[in-house]
Amino acid sequence: MSEKIYALLLCLYPSHFREGYGDSALQLLRDRARDEKGFFPKLRLWLDVLADLAISLPREYSNAHSALIAASAQQRLEGAPSFFVLEGEAPRPGALLLGGVLSLTALAAFPVLLSQVHHQARSASTSDGQQQGRFASPQQQTPQSNPEDAASQAARATTGEGNLDAAERQRVIEAAVADLKQYYMDRDAAQKMADALLAHRKRGDDDAATDGKALADLLTKQMRDVSHDMQLELAYIPEPMPASRFDALGRPLEPTPEDQARYRSAMEQSNCTFEKIETLPHNIGYLKLNSFPDLSLCQPTAAAAMASLNHADAIIFDLRDNRGGQPEMVSFMAAYLFDHPEYWYNPRENTTQQSWTQSPVPGNELADKPVYVLTSARTFSGAEQFCYDLKMLKRATLIGETTGGAAHSGVWHRIDDHFGMGIPETKPVNPYAKADWEGTGVEPDVKVKAEEALKTAENLAQSKLQKK
Amino acid sequence: MPKRKLDPLPSAAFQILLALAGEDLHGYAIMRQVAQQTDGRMRLGPGTLYSSIQSLLEEKFIEELDARVDAKLGQDRRRYYRLTSAGRKLARSEAERMADLLRVARARKILRRDYV
Repeated sequence: MSEKIYALLLCLYPSHFREGYGDSALQLLRDRARDEKGFFPKLRLWLDVLADLAISLPREYSNAHSALIAASAQQRLEGAPSFFVLEGEAPRPGALLLGGVLSLTALAAFPVLLSQVHHQARSASTSDGQQQGRFASPQQQTPQSNPEDAASQAARATTGEGNLDAAERQRVIEAAVADLKQYYMDRDAAQKMADALLAHRKRGDDDAATDGKALADLLTKQMRDVSHDMQLELAYIPEPMPASRFDALGRPLEPTPEDQARYRSAMEQSNCTFEKIETLPHNIGYLKLNSFPDLSLCQPTAAAAMASLNHADAIIFDLRDNRGGQPEMVSFMAAYLFDHPEYWYNPRENTTQQSWTQSPVPGNELADKPVYVLTSARTFSGAEQFCYDLKMLKRATLIGETTGGAAHSGVWHRIDDHFGMGIPETKPVNPYAKADWEGTGVEPDVKVKAEEALKTAENLAQSKLQKK
Repeated sequence: MPKRKLDPLPSAAFQILLALAGEDLHGYAIMRQVAQQTDGRMRLGPGTLYSSIQSLLEEKFIEELDARVDAKLGQDRRRYYRLTSAGRKLARSEAERMADLLRVARARKILRRDYV
């Protein structure tokens, strides 16, 4: 039965496809029907088939269409219209009727089904934003009301330079308004920013932004003018971000197994970015670490590195090329520098277990040794946390340049294939009652050029050890 | 024939190339392999599958082998497909492009729990 229905559906495809792959397609359906028994598997099978039909039919015909255009372009005579037919046969009336009915059903059903999830997630705030947006420009026709349908996907693929139309601008602004209201850490500020975005929209301030990046920069500026939050941003990413990599709220899914495998092999090849571990003259331990890698992967390497420096009289952490990493590793490394659990401030998360270092580390003898941390303007993010917390705890002397200045991080929310927002969702509480390093960087205790930092640290450590 | 749209490479075509990277497979086996390597998120329907196969064949990224029987699936003869060296190269460059993208994503703080 299934096979007969599908054989009929196959008639909808262009003849070159039917002739080439009709049998194979039927065979595939037979295979699936045989292997997937039971009501739900069968239902899924047919949903797959209908979805497949909705996606692949237009593609097959557009391929045939482009062949037609190519053929006619080759042979067109000046001023004389000509017609070419690629199909060797006319479709039967029955097939046309069936095709029409099924296509309409499928086209009507799938956007509705797909948008259910989407709309449930963000229904309240989105509808609000949409109505205001529409009111602002009643003359404007919104060609696609459903953001997930295939046509709009295709339209979106060309949002590069100079291609942004009013409908796309409006959609991005509406999504930004909805995301702000739903996720931003401060509700009042979110409302004010949303109002500002819509006011700008109404005044036509955004009309000049005809490419994605210009619009993203403009909207970011409009939001920051109100909130002064440098972490909040709306970004345009030229490479498309497929929806499959994001959850229903537009947040990124965890890295795929392939991503993880790639990261794992990179870590294996680079010794977990522990670039250099050595003992300098006067028994000064030196550790050059270029990131704070995934603890679950690199804990043995990190523990071995610290163990090999266990008998040093002083220790220098070289973070001049360290661009950050995972908070768990930052805290893990810091644990060696204390003989009791120490509060460990992490501006990206509210208080969790990670907020206390796991000190003392059994067998560790570094807890009371002088510590020097080398910094540069490239020292970034997680590495800055290491510097800032050790400085605030007066546990290390920082030597080098003021660090890069990246403290908070927003949670990413995808708007569509090219637009997304980084939104700070929680407000960190700084136990030191002063500003952290966001935007300003961590000031070193001893300011020298990055390339002179190691020499300076060695000298300082030596004279300190000699005084003992 | 017109040039098919493999630039940019659609994800279905990329998944098919990845599925064929291990061994030669027939259509249904490709479908199952793709489902497996995407944790069931991508189940290629017949239309998408064979339309992608057609495009990949035309651009010589895969080649068709002589039809033979897959003993596990009965007595039907099936068309098998094999990755060409051009196809392998394409898959690799696509994977590298994605790795670059991943680096951008990390730099833009898109991935959760990573500062980068």
